Amino acid sequence: MKNGFKYGGYKGQLLRVNLSKNAVTKEPLREDWARDFVGGAGYSARLLYDEIPGRVDALGPQNKLFFMTGPVNGTMIPAASRSTACAKSPLTGSLFHSIFGGYWGPELKFAGYDGLIVEGKADKPVYLWIDDDQVEIRSAEHLWGKNPFKAQEIIRQEIGDENIRIATIGEAGKNGMPYAIILLDIRAAGRGGMGAVMGSKNLKAIAVRGTGSVSVPNMLRVYNTTLRLNQIAATNPAVKGLSEYGTPRNVLSMNAAGILPTRNWQTEMFKGADGISGETMKEQVVKGHRACFACSINCTKYSVVPSGKYKSIINGPDYETVYGFGSICEVDDIRAICKVDEVCDEYGIDLIQASMSVAWAMECYEKGIFTKKDTGGLDLAWGNADAMIHLTEMIGKREGLGALLAKGTRDAAKIVGKGSERFVISNKGVDGPGHSCRPWPGTAVGYATGPRGGSHHDIRPTLEKSGVVDRTVLEGKGAMASEVNHWLILADSAVVCHLGEPIWGPAKINDNLIDALNAVTGWNLDYEQAHKIAERQWNMIRCFAAREGFTRNDDTLPIRFMEEPVPEGPMKGSLISKETLEGLKDQYYDYRGWDKKTGNPSKAKLAELGLEFAAKDIC
Amino acid sequence: MATVKVKGFSVVRDVFGAGVVELEVGPPETVKAALAALLAKFGDPLKKVLVEPDTGEITPLLLVLNGEAISSTLDVDRSVKTGDELTLIFPIGGG
Repeated sequence: MKNGFKYGGYKGQLLRVNLSKNAVTKEPLREDWARDFVGGAGYSARLLYDEIPGRVDALGPQNKLFFMTGPVNGTMIPAASRSTACAKSPLTGSLFHSIFGGYWGPELKFAGYDGLIVEGKADKPVYLWIDDDQVEIRSAEHLWGKNPFKAQEIIRQEIGDENIRIATIGEAGKNGMPYAIILLDIRAAGRGGMGAVMGSKNLKAIAVRGTGSVSVPNMLRVYNTTLRLNQIAATNPAVKGLSEYGTPRNVLSMNAAGILPTRNWQTEMFKGADGISGETMKEQVVKGHRACFACSINCTKYSVVPSGKYKSIINGPDYETVYGFGSICEVDDIRAICKVDEVCDEYGIDLIQASMSVAWAMECYEKGIFTKKDTGGLDLAWGNADAMIHLTEMIGKREGLGALLAKGTRDAAKIVGKGSERFVISNKGVDGPGHSCRPWPGTAVGYATGPRGGSHHDIRPTLEKSGVVDRTVLEGKGAMASEVNHWLILADSAVVCHLGEPIWGPAKINDNLIDALNAVTGWNLDYEQAHKIAERQWNMIRCFAAREGFTRNDDTLPIRFMEEPVPEGPMKGSLISKETLEGLKDQYYDYRGWDKKTGNPSKAKLAELGLEFAAKDIC
Repeated sequence: MATVKVKGFSVVRDVFGAGVVELEVGPPETVKAALAALLAKFGDPLKKVLVEPDTGEITPLLLVLNGEAISSTLDVDRSVKTGDELTLIFPIGGG
């Protein structure tokens, strides 16, 4: 390729910034790792396994934050704007890759880098200014207390370029809140506390301007692949409605199916669903659409509440926000959800984790574990939108009850006790997204074994939900979950968007994903080779967790999902009992060639995948 | 002949022009026949949101028949009768 790197799609270069030494260096991307781990989450896992020693403090200087693109990013391939922020997570205690869309990742490539490694800790707050090959570490003392949007505005003025792309943290990142986000322009690396890792390094922002391009070996092939994939995106039923209604198109459908999580998952049907639906959102607040780089799906909405107590301007809300602050808290007013979305962005906190914290507190209040004495006088009754917004602000400020909730529900419940552990809807410390698993055993084992805990991006419920796979049968669900893991991790390494699920999945790595990779890189991967790469990536992440001390026992589900059946509606009676889950885990480990006792990859499996070096740490 | 109420949401509702429509289902009065009748009634606009271009088949869907969750692929032979309510659960992605 023009830049001398062997494969197309790559820039062939990583940028490394050591904030302790105030040093900026450039280093070649490893060709062998690019071929074996691709990019994004896969390459990150390999690099960070080497560079982060076992059991370091996630908020200490030994942790590293790695922003990584993939070979497909920055090309014209659709649904491929995404990149990863990866580090040891302060929330889970293991490796976490938080995926984000927008424009920041492609811009980093246009500046000449496949990825950016941030290590050490600056003496004082700083921000990075990456202007093609010129990289500066600048003072951010004047930005340190500013909310992410204000900081972006000031940086744009300072640099005098409206078109730069900026990643920023807010108050939560500054304070090390374990679910702080990184806001990249208007999109977020929202999960796993990557904002806290960035804040722990005294790094407020990373501004990028790139004027280069991404080279591919055969432009006509990439062009034809793009046309074909855009045609799928335009015509596939599973993508329909995302442009029109955004991801909240799901709300009424899920409610009718009895799978709209409600009242902190006490039930899965919400009487107020009409008030928070995609249809209502479109009618009341949506003013426009936002698309990520080169994406034809166009799922993000731009919403405005022009006046009143919920006055707000946001990019969203997405389904997860509507679920978390809507049905989960039994709030039926889309305008209140817009307001609380704005609050979360201003403090720089994960919307899902914050909403689940509020819901957990509401349930503690319902059950008498909390009284107004504990809540600072707030009436945390279900559906009290104003209290929900106020408590979210308290989380952002770490005030009163908010300081407890800022720890995450798992740790908050450990402190409070009194049975509040039963109200925690969390896997490995990460609170659950708005997709049920009580009716779907394959999804359940996917949640339980997922490296990121409660993530609907380590498993997808699509196959069982749609009936492609029979949800009533347990046999084969370990294999199903594994193969869904594989297309997801390969997608997270290319890096392409999971909302393009019908393009890239949904049952296993499909020809479109392989074709996109081959077209931009010049590879000639077949299914078996692509599968082996994905399996290697998944095992690499598991090795990191095992080295941190994670075992089979950490692969579990929230108590509620194992002990409380869905009480009403079409899914009434659905439950994944502890016994069922353990059987599913056995299936999963067997299929993967993992030790059923420990849940770790076996020596033989590591050797098969070229990961022998990890055996000394985990076997 | 069975007269069935069919419910849909978002882009399906947009095609229906209403949240609920009545549908005549001829023999054999099954879920499969109901889906075929629905496509015949609403034509190309509905095909554009429900049919996969590659296969020409309706994309696999979760359905709710009289409050019971069923599958458009596994339960197509279930019978329907007058007064039944069939809800189409549009393919659901995350976000």
